[in-house]
Amino acid sequence: MSPAVSATLRSGRVVIGLGLVLFLGMCALLAPLIAPHDPAEQNLLSILLPPAWSPDGNQEFPFGTDSLGRCILSRLIYGARTAMVVAIVASLGAMLLGSILGHVCGYFGGIVDWVVGRAVDVWMSFPPVILSLVLMVGLGTGLDKVIMAIILVDWTRFCRVLRSEVLVVTQRDYVTAARLLGFTHWQTITREILPATLPLLITLLSLEMAVAVVVEAILSFVGLGVRADEAAWGQMIADARQYIYQSPWNLLFPMFAIIIAVSAFNLLGDGLRRAFDVRLAQLAR
Amino acid sequence: MSVLEARDLTVTARMSGIAVPVLREVSFRLGPGRILGVVGESGAGKSMIGRAIAHLLPSGFAITGGSLQFEGRNLTELRHRQRRELLGRAISFIPQGPLSALNPVRTIGRQFDEHLAHLGIRRREERRERALAMLSAARLSDPWRLLERYPHQLSGGMCQRVLIAMAFASNPRLVVADEPTTALDLTIQAHIVELIAQMQQQHATALVFITHDLRLAAHLCDEIMVMYAGRAVEYGPTRAVLSAPAHPYTRCLQLANPAMCPQGRALYLLPEQMPSLRELARMSGCRFAPRCPVATQECLQSEPPIISHAANHWAACIRPQVTLQIVAQPALPGAIPGAIPARSLLQVENLHKRYITARHMLRSATEISAVRNAEFGIAANEFVGLVGESGSGKSTLAKLLLGLEPPSAGRIVLDGEDVTDCSAHARQVRIATVQMVFQDPQSALNPRRRVASIVTQAMEAGRQPAARDERIKRAKALLSDMGLSAELAMRYPAQLSGGQRQRINVARALCKVPKILVADEVVSGLDVSIQAQLLQLLLRLRDEFQFAMLFISHDLSVVRHLCSRVLVMYRGEIVEQGPTEAIFAQPQHAHTRALLSAVPAEY
Amino acid sequence: MLPTVLSLLGRRLIAAIPILLLVSALLFCVLRVLPVDPAAMSLPPSATIAEIEAQRREMGLDRPLALQYLIWLQRALHGEFGRSIHYRRDAGALVAETLPATLELALTAMAIAGTLGLCGGLFLFRLRGTPFETLGDLSSMLLLSIPEFLWGLILLFLFGVVLPLLPFTGRLSPSFMRPNITGFLLLDTLLVWRPDMFWDALTHMALPAVALGLAFSPMIMRVLRSSLFDVYVEDFIAQARLRGISEMRILLAHALKNAALPTLTLAGVQFGFLFGGTLLVEIIYSYPGLGNLMVDAVRNADLPIIQTAGLAYCVAVLLINTAVDSLYLVLNPKLRER
Repeated sequence: MSPAVSATLRSGRVVIGLGLVLFLGMCALLAPLIAPHDPAEQNLLSILLPPAWSPDGNQEFPFGTDSLGRCILSRLIYGARTAMVVAIVASLGAMLLGSILGHVCGYFGGIVDWVVGRAVDVWMSFPPVILSLVLMVGLGTGLDKVIMAIILVDWTRFCRVLRSEVLVVTQRDYVTAARLLGFTHWQTITREILPATLPLLITLLSLEMAVAVVVEAILSFVGLGVRADEAAWGQMIADARQYIYQSPWNLLFPMFAIIIAVSAFNLLGDGLRRAFDVRLAQLAR
Repeated sequence: MSVLEARDLTVTARMSGIAVPVLREVSFRLGPGRILGVVGESGAGKSMIGRAIAHLLPSGFAITGGSLQFEGRNLTELRHRQRRELLGRAISFIPQGPLSALNPVRTIGRQFDEHLAHLGIRRREERRERALAMLSAARLSDPWRLLERYPHQLSGGMCQRVLIAMAFASNPRLVVADEPTTALDLTIQAHIVELIAQMQQQHATALVFITHDLRLAAHLCDEIMVMYAGRAVEYGPTRAVLSAPAHPYTRCLQLANPAMCPQGRALYLLPEQMPSLRELARMSGCRFAPRCPVATQECLQSEPPIISHAANHWAACIRPQVTLQIVAQPALPGAIPGAIPARSLLQVENLHKRYITARHMLRSATEISAVRNAEFGIAANEFVGLVGESGSGKSTLAKLLLGLEPPSAGRIVLDGEDVTDCSAHARQVRIATVQMVFQDPQSALNPRRRVASIVTQAMEAGRQPAARDERIKRAKALLSDMGLSAELAMRYPAQLSGGQRQRINVARALCKVPKILVADEVVSGLDVSIQAQLLQLLLRLRDEFQFAMLFISHDLSVVRHLCSRVLVMYRGEIVEQGPTEAIFAQPQHAHTRALLSAVPAEY
Repeated sequence: MLPTVLSLLGRRLIAAIPILLLVSALLFCVLRVLPVDPAAMSLPPSATIAEIEAQRREMGLDRPLALQYLIWLQRALHGEFGRSIHYRRDAGALVAETLPATLELALTAMAIAGTLGLCGGLFLFRLRGTPFETLGDLSSMLLLSIPEFLWGLILLFLFGVVLPLLPFTGRLSPSFMRPNITGFLLLDTLLVWRPDMFWDALTHMALPAVALGLAFSPMIMRVLRSSLFDVYVEDFIAQARLRGISEMRILLAHALKNAALPTLTLAGVQFGFLFGGTLLVEIIYSYPGLGNLMVDAVRNADLPIIQTAGLAYCVAVLLINTAVDSLYLVLNPKLRER
């Protein structure tokens, strides 16, 4: 195992963050196996039941039911599936688009850099919430549209941050040396610059996954996210809002789910950042 | 009563659970109005003395033995508030990097004012007067405007003058100057040292002058203390220490210094380098013995005690009488600069480089001429020195030669081919003919590559990259040529010392044996003994590999030891060029004379 | 200094024009690529195809895209932003009516976020070296992981439902008649000198503003803390210590101003996000601002309002960025003269 990987794994935050993320991933993957009920199944005779440990609770519905009698626990687990799919696919997409442009702009500069820079300026003059809403209006609803909206909004963040980093790395003498020794541009970027920006990339990816979970929740909350029959945490919250007096648990469970998922990604990202900083300090000793 | 007195001062660091001594039983005495030079290479512990005086040691470091007394008061026993009373008032510090030692978002005036207020001057008018007086005494012109300026608007030399003014503003009884001139240009260095000497005399302050430059210490200080591996190995009046050194290390340091080694002699080579802190913990006996040319078995057994030589002159060596037997070898005939010029390899004609600064709103763009009318040639196997201060354009010239930037006008002919236009063909010619050795070993080596991969990086380029076995073989061969052991091949740059990294730098450039090497300030950050090793290495490699070199440096004495011809650059123009000895003996241009006179005269 | 700030503002103004043009064009294009037909949406379900076609022609949806945009642009420059399909009123007027509420909320929230961020950052920095350092770091990360709409719901739950201390619907209790002078309720209530109404407005704004402030302050705290760390290893801090200056003075007089610079840059970005977050908070608290207008418009495919409100959000973000950059210029002497 390379020293970098082992150093990273020794960090408590990475271990806990990664553990939580894997747990959520497992829930998402094994949803059909571990969920007690079908998340869309309505039991109109047992609506708004409290969790099983309350006096009025029912063992059959461990976390209770919502206003249409659907099992909260099952909806939470399937909601994890939605959240994880969005988190992984959307962040990877945003990362690919943003970092490719960021590397090209930072390394080559020139007219490409100027054009992309202006595009990023225009993009970033929208608050992300507004932009994603507007995009959803244009694209329509559905899981794939949500993923596309996130990619189209968040690529700018990757682009900007990576461009600055690439600018710094390109100033280093060893990049100049590679060019002088005869490396082509492609060789220089892949062998000298990319290994230096990779740690930042991975950290940003993890943080972006946290953002993706939140954006998906927001869009579902507003009613512009996934389709109405798919389970999503934001939708659960929107539903539960009306019944906040009668059944506060309906609101609290999906809230905790979101907070745990976002914290997990943030913790992982923070742990990775620290591990890479330590590594950098060691390399530069 | 002495102003500063140390008795067996010991500072220990805790590293991974082991107690490692950083300063061991250092003793000295500094009388009022006297100047003590603390000389040593990096890692010797000289800066630690300054930190011990201020009691601002890095975390994990602590004073574990001996005493440090300031005017009879034990500094280590002071409480925090009492110490803060002393700092800035009775004891002042002059830092190493002047530009970064001032708060960038506050004006000079505000910072000086704060300092004077802290000293107890109540009235604002009085503070302003005093600030202006001190700034004038530091020979800064127009001090009124200076008060309104920010640090980034001043040059390094001006910032240092401000810091010196602030240090002496409180009429301190002790000033500690930690490498105050290292970050400055040569001509500025001389002025700053003059200023410090002048202020010290005016205020009758005791001064501790920490430096790595033996010659500078010789010029300024009354007494010299030589440090090695955390211990003071020699102490005495300047003249005595330098004319008749008692400790072999002092002698070797003298002979390895290009400015102090007699002409016609090779620089003295000390093998390897000073032991690191970790290695020190495991050593016994004299710490210098492994590198000492006159060491005996007895030296390795126990640490030598302090033996007094003459009045106030002692050394930590049991065989001081053989020290003067250490002499520099005569320079090898092939190594003497002055080789017969062969066919011209590089020809530069009428070279210009102009930069246009960005246009701003209503202001028109301005033009800066970085290089003007450069014209010179380099023959095969010739070592040519390029000397100039910062801003003289020497780095720009290097970039033009290497094709990193296109010239604005002129011609560059390399090995018979015109490469001025930076076309693809020109690039191919350059890759085969010219390579560069960079200044900063930190940023010059990719920290994620292993040494073997770095030195054979040239074999990775091109259409047919070489196979792995071939590269490892070549890497080992190159390492042995550089005088490094083959086991370094699988290490990362962070695990190497500064001198070793610089050799890797050279090895990488020589991998495909270019015809010309451009070395940009490659020995500037290195210790004297490491510098000597690298310079001798370059001379030896020339005989083996047969290449020419353009050696860029601001240090004239280094150039003198290495190059047969010298180009002097000033404000973008080559103001003088010719054979080294001729330039040194009879400099024609005013700037050349200024550079030569800036080298501090010996006592 | 003042001429540099003015020249910055001037440059920003000129640079903002193409950005706004591009932004409005972007909005325009996105909204015309709809899967839904706005003409059909604005008529009752029983409308015939002929009627829908007539509506399309009336709304100008049958012309080429570029032409539609230019027509819109020309009208917009005269202050006409189209008619809302749903409300049957001028879109510009609707936006102008609701904008002050959002502005008021956002500015209050920014003040809260800034203050919390500053105090929190200094506090986290004080914890360095103590055993509570990691605890502080993890707590701030947990706070960071709670998005603004969840904060809104949490506060609504805690202080509206569990402990009914504060109101959580609307801007003002229904029993009061709203004075309408500037549109900024806190100001208006003071201008007509009704302290009871002022208090009422304040309590209504408390939960949404605090929710936003709490959501966006942890990032500011963390960046301030890490900037302070970065500044503390600089040479001039060590030199100040060597001059005998006390640690408290070093922190407040020397380090803080330097650390404020990168923190300010980040705070600017965060405030841009905060302005967008007002939309969610307004939904949760039924706050009659631009956000609720926007959401209704989105649900009804009311294009003129989406276009105009989107533009208004952009203008707000550009203004925030300009203000932050000007402040940065004032604080950082290196940028002042060229």
